[in-house]
Amino acid sequence: MKNRNVFFISASILFAFSACTKTITPTLNNTTQLVIEGAISDTTGPYHVSISKTADFYSDNIYPGVSGATVVITDATANVTDVLTEATPGDYITHTITGMPGHAYQLRVTLDGKTYTSISTMPQPVLLDSVTMDYSVNNNFRPVANYQDPVNQKNYYKYSMKRNGIHVNHFQTFDDRLSNGRYIREKLDCDTGTFHHGDIVNVSLVGLDTGAFNFLKEAEAVAYDNANLAAPATPTSNITGGCIGYFSAQTVSSKATMVQ
Amino acid sequence: MSPAILLAQSKNHYSISGTIKDKATGETLPGATVSFLQLPGVGVAANSYGFYSVSAPEGSYILIATYIGYRTDTLYVDLKGDLQQNINLEAGFGLKEVKITGSSSRSNNILTAPPGAQKLSINDIKNVPVLLGEKDVLKTIQLLPGIVAAGDGKAGFFVRGGDADQNLILLDEATVYNASHLLGFFSVFNSDAIKDILIYKAGMPADYGGRLSSVEDIHMNDGNNQKFGVSGGLGLIASRLTVEGPLLDHNGSFIISARRTYVDAFTGLAADSTIRKTKLYFYDINLKGNYQVNKNDRVFLSGYFGKDYLQLKQGNGIDYGNSTGTLRWNHIFNNSLFSNTSLIYNSFNYNTHFQSSTNNITVGSAITDYHLKQDFNYYLNSNNKLDIGLESIYHVTQPGAATTSQTSNYNSIVLQKKYSLESAVYISHEWKATDRLKLTYGLRVSDLSVLGPGNFYTYDAAGNILTNTDYSSGKIVKNYINPEPRIAASYQLNDSSSVKISYDRNVQNIHLLNNSTATSPTNVYLPSTNVVKPEIADQFSIGYYRTFHQNGIEFSSEIYYKTLQNQIDYKDGANLVGNENIEADLLFGAGRAYGWETYVKKKYGRLTGWVSYTLSKSERKINGINNNNYYLASQDQTNHLSIVGMYQASKRWVLSADFVYNTGTPVTYPEGKFSVDGSPVYAYGDRNSQRLPAYNRLDLGATLYVKKTRRIESSWNFSIYNVYGQSNPYTIVFQADPNNMNRTQVQQTTLFKMVPSITYNFKF
Repeated sequence: MKNRNVFFISASILFAFSACTKTITPTLNNTTQLVIEGAISDTTGPYHVSISKTADFYSDNIYPGVSGATVVITDATANVTDVLTEATPGDYITHTITGMPGHAYQLRVTLDGKTYTSISTMPQPVLLDSVTMDYSVNNNFRPVANYQDPVNQKNYYKYSMKRNGIHVNHFQTFDDRLSNGRYIREKLDCDTGTFHHGDIVNVSLVGLDTGAFNFLKEAEAVAYDNANLAAPATPTSNITGGCIGYFSAQTVSSKATMVQ
Repeated sequence: MSPAILLAQSKNHYSISGTIKDKATGETLPGATVSFLQLPGVGVAANSYGFYSVSAPEGSYILIATYIGYRTDTLYVDLKGDLQQNINLEAGFGLKEVKITGSSSRSNNILTAPPGAQKLSINDIKNVPVLLGEKDVLKTIQLLPGIVAAGDGKAGFFVRGGDADQNLILLDEATVYNASHLLGFFSVFNSDAIKDILIYKAGMPADYGGRLSSVEDIHMNDGNNQKFGVSGGLGLIASRLTVEGPLLDHNGSFIISARRTYVDAFTGLAADSTIRKTKLYFYDINLKGNYQVNKNDRVFLSGYFGKDYLQLKQGNGIDYGNSTGTLRWNHIFNNSLFSNTSLIYNSFNYNTHFQSSTNNITVGSAITDYHLKQDFNYYLNSNNKLDIGLESIYHVTQPGAATTSQTSNYNSIVLQKKYSLESAVYISHEWKATDRLKLTYGLRVSDLSVLGPGNFYTYDAAGNILTNTDYSSGKIVKNYINPEPRIAASYQLNDSSSVKISYDRNVQNIHLLNNSTATSPTNVYLPSTNVVKPEIADQFSIGYYRTFHQNGIEFSSEIYYKTLQNQIDYKDGANLVGNENIEADLLFGAGRAYGWETYVKKKYGRLTGWVSYTLSKSERKINGINNNNYYLASQDQTNHLSIVGMYQASKRWVLSADFVYNTGTPVTYPEGKFSVDGSPVYAYGDRNSQRLPAYNRLDLGATLYVKKTRRIESSWNFSIYNVYGQSNPYTIVFQADPNNMNRTQVQQTTLFKMVPSITYNFKF
């Protein structure tokens, strides 16, 4: 349950007296680390695994791709192996493997003599009912994802959005720890002024397993709420071997609507 | 040995006892001292109810009673048998100090008080400039050595490297769990209702227990038993009103003091409609009555009720508050045996509300204590005093309950309540071994019984449930028995200097869980369980104390070393809300803290004030953090300097200033970034491996006494907080640059850049 906004707003009221914000440039250490991100889903492939390096905080958001890795995804349930090929530097794609709910997938990356592995099990799909819009705040129209959370399993979700076919750089996670079996109507956070009249909004409900969810939940807190974390830390990866990132076997259900 | 002492040994000893009070108001004066002109070195300080008892050989004496801020009184006594002698002291008039026999007119408690102990009366703090003109005892103690503030706009304070939940804050013996109003801008203690505060950073007497770092023992005023009075203040954002007076033919008195803020009156003027419809206020009420039943019995009833509301227009918001009630019975068995029995109730609860067209959720949490305490002070003779007592607290905590509407995204949930019984017995012996050496040693034995009903789990290292046992009501799940030795010694080197040394162990069984820096009271209180062990602290402290200019200037320098066991931290991504298995998300480890504190205080004259400097370090070692190595605790401040000055410029004007400087606290900053779905996400270095910029601030104040007639007294208080507008960080955010989506930036928010305020105070 997100209550941080309450404190932010009530604090900002009080601070209206004299609070002020400025841009600062504290000295930061720069440690380059390896980042592996991969997903396989129940939608049609090919599926991507990206391997890159972290960037310096003060440099552009350009993450150099890492070439020359051997990347293999195995469907451990069906015993199918796919060796990925590098399409562009750092971007590795699958050929034959298909994503099936309930199957366990193993990612294996070999790079410079080191091996990184992860196992992710694709959950049963949860379908999005509809996407509606929330117009309660002027100039911040927000998409609402409507769906039924199944009562018989633990569910972990991620929401992602497109505006007129273009990916919106904002992700959000949710789990049914306190919501099992509920009908969910979730307002999705986005920057003020993202959506306008006439826009086509496409929302995807992505079903995750625990390992991928934990990484994404911590990543969400670090990306959008780091000032409130008493002890911010690099999100916990579900890939072993000493890298950042995650591997997710996931289900995707998408719906669209038009902003009125 | 002096001839008086030699003579004393051959004569009968008799005791003199009684209560020391303010002549005009009847307020008792805890800590006032009684000594004999003819017997240097024999004397006693009144206990927290103003009761004193001292014995001396048969003879005629001049008794000297002193208390800071009061005219020293002398009484002729003819001691031929045990004697009851109440003493009334007259409040001193500011600058003038009555001198009778040189230094003895000025108290020099600093030489004999326990090390690490300090006392402030409301008089000491009334001119210290504070934020928005609300004088505040808890804010003022954060200017003393070894006590540091959590920062602008943040609740809580840290004592000698401890955590914010390791301070035992007592209001008339009742535990106050959340001592802050309005996200930490004010403390819950209305200064009009407060008599004084006693602080222990080390050498806690054995009758205190339950927290590791410090004791803040706050006493409410008893109320004027001589005449009715009304006093109050009108401030920019808060107003206060106090009524007090005698009851039942001056045998009793009462005081009612209330306070309310009206920040929301200003938010109504705001341009933004969200802000305009916001409710934002707190109120608190202090009540106290006492009645002298007969010569030997006195009863007190005191209570505190406070509530904060922070509510946005859509019904999103929080409310929280403390309630306390204390019923006490003082009984004087005889000249040398004093007893106090207390029945105490206190509770803290918070509720968070979310409201929208489909989602209505209220999340609440609470802790309630039922507390019985019995203390005996036994004054054996002028060199020996025994304190014996026992207490028992029944804690009921509700770690979380959520009520949701039918169409909400969330289920209603009520976590199991947790029950525990915290008991202790103690004995402490205060022994004046020689004229110069005073020893106080004692033992407190505490026990925490973790009680059913409820499910109790055990977990593996990864946090998976191993076992789940269902205990029935009243069944003991686990007992933690801990002996807590306390030893303090002071050795007086000469008339003006002493050294003191202490060792103490404290045990804590109520733990506050909060992994957010947001100054929210949405905290979960968790008692020790089968998984969460009692926190334990051991502290050694040694200090040198000296007075100059006939006790007009006090100097102290102390060093301490403290070790901490069973400290609590959190796994990354820990769920503290609505989590039945919250213990699976906790990490445990050790801590250590050490430091050097120096303090100089000028107590008399036109210019008064103090300088306090602390050099310290506080570290933690938690399994699973920074490769299990020691790292800096989040409250670590290497250097901390406070300077407080008050100057009586004329009969009507008092000017004041305070300056604070401290090393920035440790923080964790990104060491790189990567992308998740197009958003930059940050990779972090080791926990607390960086520091915020140093904090510094100067505040100025001025008080104008308009009228001081027999009937009415009034004053204007002007203050400016952060005069030179230093940008001290409140939050530092790492975020995508809104003007260039291909970049990231760091934004610092500062809360208070120069906050002026005016308060009008009156009394009639």
